[in-house]
Amino acid sequence: MTTFTAEAYQNEYLPAGGEEVNAVVTVTASDAAPGATSAQAAEIIIVDVSGSMGSPRAKLTAATRATAVAIDCIRDGVMFGVIAGNDTARAVYPQEVRLVAASPQTREDAKQAVAELKATGGTAIGRWLALADELFAATPEAIRHAILLTDGRDEHETPVELEAVLADCEGSFQCDCRGVGTDWEVQELRRIATTLLGTVDIVAEPADLQDDFQAMIERAMGKATGDVSLRLWTPQGASVAFLKQVAPTIEDLTARSSAVDALTADYPTGAWGDESRDYHLCVHVQPRAVGEEMLAGRVGLMVGGETVSQALIRALWTDDEQLSTRINREVAHYTGQAELADAIQEGLEARKQGDEHTATFKLGRAVQLAAAAGNSDTMKLLAGVVDVQEAHTGTVRLKPRVQEADEMALDTRSTKTVRVKKPGS
Amino acid sequence: MDMSSSETALACGTCQAALLPGDRYCERCGTRVGPALDEETRAGGGCTACAAPAEAIDADWYCSRCGVRQRSPQDRQEIDLVVAAGVSDRGRVRRRNEDALHLQAVGESGVAVVVCDGISSSLSAEEAARRGADAAGAVLAEALLGEQAVLAEATRNAVGTAQQAVLEVPWTSRSDRDVPSCTLVSAVCRDGELVIGWVGDSRAYWIAGDDSRQLTVDHSWAQEQVAAGLLSVQEAGADKRAHSITRWLGQDAPDDEPQIVTLRPTDPGRLVLCSDGLWNYMPDAAGIAAQLDALPPGTAAITAAHSLADAALAAGGHDNITVAVLNVTPPGRDDQ
Repeated sequence: MTTFTAEAYQNEYLPAGGEEVNAVVTVTASDAAPGATSAQAAEIIIVDVSGSMGSPRAKLTAATRATAVAIDCIRDGVMFGVIAGNDTARAVYPQEVRLVAASPQTREDAKQAVAELKATGGTAIGRWLALADELFAATPEAIRHAILLTDGRDEHETPVELEAVLADCEGSFQCDCRGVGTDWEVQELRRIATTLLGTVDIVAEPADLQDDFQAMIERAMGKATGDVSLRLWTPQGASVAFLKQVAPTIEDLTARSSAVDALTADYPTGAWGDESRDYHLCVHVQPRAVGEEMLAGRVGLMVGGETVSQALIRALWTDDEQLSTRINREVAHYTGQAELADAIQEGLEARKQGDEHTATFKLGRAVQLAAAAGNSDTMKLLAGVVDVQEAHTGTVRLKPRVQEADEMALDTRSTKTVRVKKPGS
Repeated sequence: MDMSSSETALACGTCQAALLPGDRYCERCGTRVGPALDEETRAGGGCTACAAPAEAIDADWYCSRCGVRQRSPQDRQEIDLVVAAGVSDRGRVRRRNEDALHLQAVGESGVAVVVCDGISSSLSAEEAARRGADAAGAVLAEALLGEQAVLAEATRNAVGTAQQAVLEVPWTSRSDRDVPSCTLVSAVCRDGELVIGWVGDSRAYWIAGDDSRQLTVDHSWAQEQVAAGLLSVQEAGADKRAHSITRWLGQDAPDDEPQIVTLRPTDPGRLVLCSDGLWNYMPDAAGIAAQLDALPPGTAAITAAHSLADAALAAGGHDNITVAVLNVTPPGRDDQ
């Protein structure tokens, strides 16, 4: 049985006339008996078998081996299937439009089928996802998760076709996306992963796929509660400037709201295991007189149609500047983390466009922010793209020659955040 | 129950005095006899900001439509018994009013006043102050009903009872916060005799022109440093521990024996009881005297209380502000 708690961190004091209320809400799900989850689950592995996967041949070999490792991690009883994708989508195991319950026998059969995959044809990711959606339709009660592996661009269908499929799949299953090699498009996979509440990452070396697949499946198997939403109430006359997940990664949820009533909206967060996530909420309210207090927001968790925990976001107007100018530590931290992600993405884009001045400025700012917040992983990735001269001032020089994989890794992992260092810990 | 339509004779549950239909307080002993403040405010209508119906106000006093927090009965409490009056206000910064005021007139000249300040680092500070003030006030009022009561003895009993009441405040264990606790200052007055009792840093002042003076001595770190000759008043006040109190009511209280002073004024004057939300802005008796001297002669106690509370609010209202004022006329004199 998973229990959820929501806790708000904010400076509730606003100056006279102040209308922007910021808060970080930490949501923690803890399982009384982790590992012993009995939740119904469904898992689909989607493997790219387009022609390019065969050159070098090591790519397809690594993909099929990684898939085999992932299949071995699927718990008994979980409904699963494998899809092979090129310019069409094909059910590889089982070879019909349904999922089967995992058992020693079915896992063996699936691995056998995967081992015989051949690389041929083009890439139409939308069709792969559409088939997965069709397969998942038979298990509406289960926590539904897919892994998508590709090595190339979505070339054999139009962006409009892909968007249409994504719209159908949104909310129906979660999908973690992995790009192998460097011929795929970060923006494209990020769009798919974000819409389907999953992660995106690069696996530059095919040999590293096994560990990554294993970690993804284990994480998916650890999810005990599916379809959790944040329910946000804001007062009449207020508007939600943004609601972002800010840890473990930055995901802007603002546009994902579905209205419950005039003042309340739900934001999907997918399935939860034993974990903790942070959200940054920014609400614009209509200011009240000094000395008055307003409830600027109420964040609850919707689990199985019930609100299980709530955090209150308050606004209290004061003419004491010492109170109103204080910036809450958590809010400041994640504002910096969001700026860091933006600086990396904008800096890399500018570099691609040949705008060295902007690229140097943005990536320098990224180095400064990462150093200040202690994002050591991000610092290592930045060092692959720039020569850091002085981290705390953000003085950097663009590297004349950059490994494409380093650049893509920095881009895909730019949204990974570090959490606030709690005092005394 | 609808008091006003009842045909049966009404009587106060405390002193059995007859009540008139519609009375909210007993005229004799001051006990509240109308509906509870809480129900009255809720029944009184909906949101003061957006006019949402009463049902829209949630348990924490927020309007579930526009979010504006409604004034709870505790946010602003006013009691006017003519001879004595008091105001307790949430102030302009704190979210809750964790001060409590109890004021009761008994018989011809008896008055009992209690001010408690819930310690804001403690759990249920609001509840501790409320229960402490009401428990002490009830004991003092009861004593005033008996002709021969010794007021100092009654004060000791009142504080002991308040301590018991604070101990009974429910709380859940949370290691990072203190258990429910509060300060207390009381005054009981009859036939020209004033007995003041206190625990903590809520204060009493005697205000009568040049004779104005502070009657209580804070049970606080700053006061102890000054009393021991270790620091000057200025040095002690500037230290961040200045407001740490050394005595209080509650489970972890050092003891519950109040310090007591007795006063028999020969000239008319005013007794002022207050929490630190007031005296932070007017620490010296002279400052309070100046504020009250600016009022026209014969000003009602409630007006004097308003004047002091408003001055503290205007100065920032950083803490909860509670102030009670008693107009004192020595027996045989009626020139106040």
